[in-house]
Amino acid sequence: MRNDAARMARFVRRKRVNQAALALAFAAMLFGMFWLAWILWETLRLGFESLSLALLTQDTPPPNEPPGVGGLANAIRGSLVMVALATLIGAPIGILSGVYLAEYNPRGALAVTIRFVNDLLLSAPSIIIGLFVYTAMVVRMRAFSGWAGAVALSLIVIPVVVRTTENMLALIPSGLREAAYALGAPKWKVIVGITLAAARAGIVTGVLLAVARISGETAPLLFTALNNQFWTDGLSGPTANLPVTILQFAMSPYENWQRLAWGGVFLITLIVLGLNVLARILSRGASS
Amino acid sequence: MNEKHLSSQFDSDMNGVSSQLMEMGGLVETQIQRVITALANFSLSLVNDVIETEGKVNAMEVAIDHALTAVVARRQPAARDLRLLLAISKITTNLERAGDEADKIARRVRSIVEGGDARKMPIGDLRLASDLASGLIHRALDAFARLDLDAAVSILKEDDLIDQEFKGFTRKLITYMMEDPRTISSSLDLLFIAKAIERIGDHAKNIAEFIIYIVKGTDVRHSSLLHIESVVH
Amino acid sequence: MTARIGILTPGAAARDEPDASPFPVKLSVRDLSFYYGKYRALNNIRLDIPAKRVTAFIGPSGCGKSTLLRTFNRMFELYPEQRAEGRVLLDGEDLLSSRQDVALIRARVGMVFQKPTPFPMSIFDNVAFGVKLFEALSRVDMEERVEWALKKAALWDEVKDKLQQSGASLSGGQQQRLCIARGIAIRPEILLLDEPCSALDPISTARIEELITEFKADYTLVIVTHNMQQAARVSDYTAYMYLGDLVEFGETEQMFLKPARRETEDYITGRFG
Repeated sequence: MRNDAARMARFVRRKRVNQAALALAFAAMLFGMFWLAWILWETLRLGFESLSLALLTQDTPPPNEPPGVGGLANAIRGSLVMVALATLIGAPIGILSGVYLAEYNPRGALAVTIRFVNDLLLSAPSIIIGLFVYTAMVVRMRAFSGWAGAVALSLIVIPVVVRTTENMLALIPSGLREAAYALGAPKWKVIVGITLAAARAGIVTGVLLAVARISGETAPLLFTALNNQFWTDGLSGPTANLPVTILQFAMSPYENWQRLAWGGVFLITLIVLGLNVLARILSRGASS
Repeated sequence: MNEKHLSSQFDSDMNGVSSQLMEMGGLVETQIQRVITALANFSLSLVNDVIETEGKVNAMEVAIDHALTAVVARRQPAARDLRLLLAISKITTNLERAGDEADKIARRVRSIVEGGDARKMPIGDLRLASDLASGLIHRALDAFARLDLDAAVSILKEDDLIDQEFKGFTRKLITYMMEDPRTISSSLDLLFIAKAIERIGDHAKNIAEFIIYIVKGTDVRHSSLLHIESVVH
Repeated sequence: MTARIGILTPGAAARDEPDASPFPVKLSVRDLSFYYGKYRALNNIRLDIPAKRVTAFIGPSGCGKSTLLRTFNRMFELYPEQRAEGRVLLDGEDLLSSRQDVALIRARVGMVFQKPTPFPMSIFDNVAFGVKLFEALSRVDMEERVEWALKKAALWDEVKDKLQQSGASLSGGQQQRLCIARGIAIRPEILLLDEPCSALDPISTARIEELITEFKADYTLVIVTHNMQQAARVSDYTAYMYLGDLVEFGETEQMFLKPARRETEDYITGRFG
């Protein structure tokens, strides 16, 4: 009987410890969620206030205009063009490199080196990439340009896409490759027709995440695309873009500019959120 | 056969079937010995014993076949396991038939004892053949237990002896019947008994052939002794 | 070793020439050794595989039976550290010779794997994939070929209304039959089966075994299996391998009733260990 009592006491104690641990974990979760929710709330609240058709149709106004004048059209357009260009440059290079790493001699010295350098690039602060493109392109061409901005952004896209492509291809069971080879298929056909097709959803997800990442990058654009009050055709001069505009307007003392900055923040948050959700849906489709 | 299976249950199943077979063989052996003694002593009580044991032997045959079926169904035996099980099934049949023969002899002995006029017949000659037959069954079971090829071959040879005995005895009975037609009915009884003894010898021979099948994997039924010896050696 | 080789081809004449076998030979393995890096996985294998029959390779894990199978279509060449020495003669031509085009070999020697491997495409395209590599068929001809292969693999009735659905949407057993259809669509002469049923339930297994028996009329089949009963059920000839040696090769009935070698009998009866 005494034994039973001791066992019961132990059981009750364990239950209490369990409850306490659960409570602590819950509190920690609430703490984290609180800030996140606050940030999102502020963004939505302030951004929503400044939302208007003008935000999307009018160019950035000069300082000290009354609230409600001007929009971000040139910055949005610049960002879209540069992000699209950076993806067009970065994604193919990244996918091809990932294919090399996963399918051609993955354990060779060259692959090991590439993988190491890619990891460095992946974790490098983006401002370093901005400075690099500044010295490599802006200084030599003696001009800030949208081209330089797109190149800087593509340098951020590449390591992300390389990494996800390689990982997604490595997940493809070797039996699938062998089955294709067993039919007499040449290597390029196996990669294009079988492995890349099987990893398609994962690779697209990787590209989307890379796009999400560069659509909010400010640092690499500061030294490359800089900013522009107006929309210029072509990318050969300083080019307007959302992140730098937000930085500039948010730091300014003008209320109208501040309001527009919030509008930009709202737009970027919406885009990043949308891209993430899309990536989620795609990767779920891939795993099933 | 002493090497073990990975599954000890398989081993114990096989051992179980083998020892059931040995037990059945023991019963049949006793039946034959008793029926011989009954014939020599004109003993009705031994006759009844033998007839009673027949039921037990039949029941054992059914039980062994059931156990064999279970092993085949559950284990899908192959190679020597499969040969052993097939051989056990055949040996069981042969033992049961040998038991049947003992039963037949017992019934004849009963009719002789009840008829009462066989005492002057050459029963002693039968004694020799029947001892040979019961010895063969005994040695066949021994050879099975040890999977002894040499013993099996010597059984095949000795069965020929019984066959010769049978032929000699038949000739003798014919002379009896020609001399004195009144002995015809008891002579026929004795002829049936002799035939039954000869059959028991044949069953022992069959068992020996299955032992060779178990060990060598060659079916030596209906083949010459010369061929059998070339298979064994 | 020499003693072991002796029993494989009774009445063997000159070592290097195709021997007088009791059956028409499709594949002759001659003095084949195989290496994973420095590890030697096959030792001087010598074996004749009969045409239009089913030959099974059995043996404990690591005995080299899959390795041997994978030399027949040079599958091992995908891995740089793997190497084969010796000869594998397909109708007298050495498959391992560098002069042979590996793609053409694989067109003649098809393979089905342990796990079903439908390609990430429609059922139709799965079957058509291999055909497109070697033949430029018109749409109608291709449709005919796909239907023929699916019918041969006893899958047509189950998929004829959903040919455009993904191959991955089929059940495991159906996927494996799809892989078989894919393999025979390019009309190989030999079909290699590497434990084709080990991931399947008994009903699907029985279906595949039925196919194997039907295929005997048109193809030479070689099956690697862990399941001895399966080897006993489907094969005409069985090879028992152990530690990279071919221990015994003979008619399946003989192998399962009275193998010539004690090691084989111990393995077949489950006394191995």
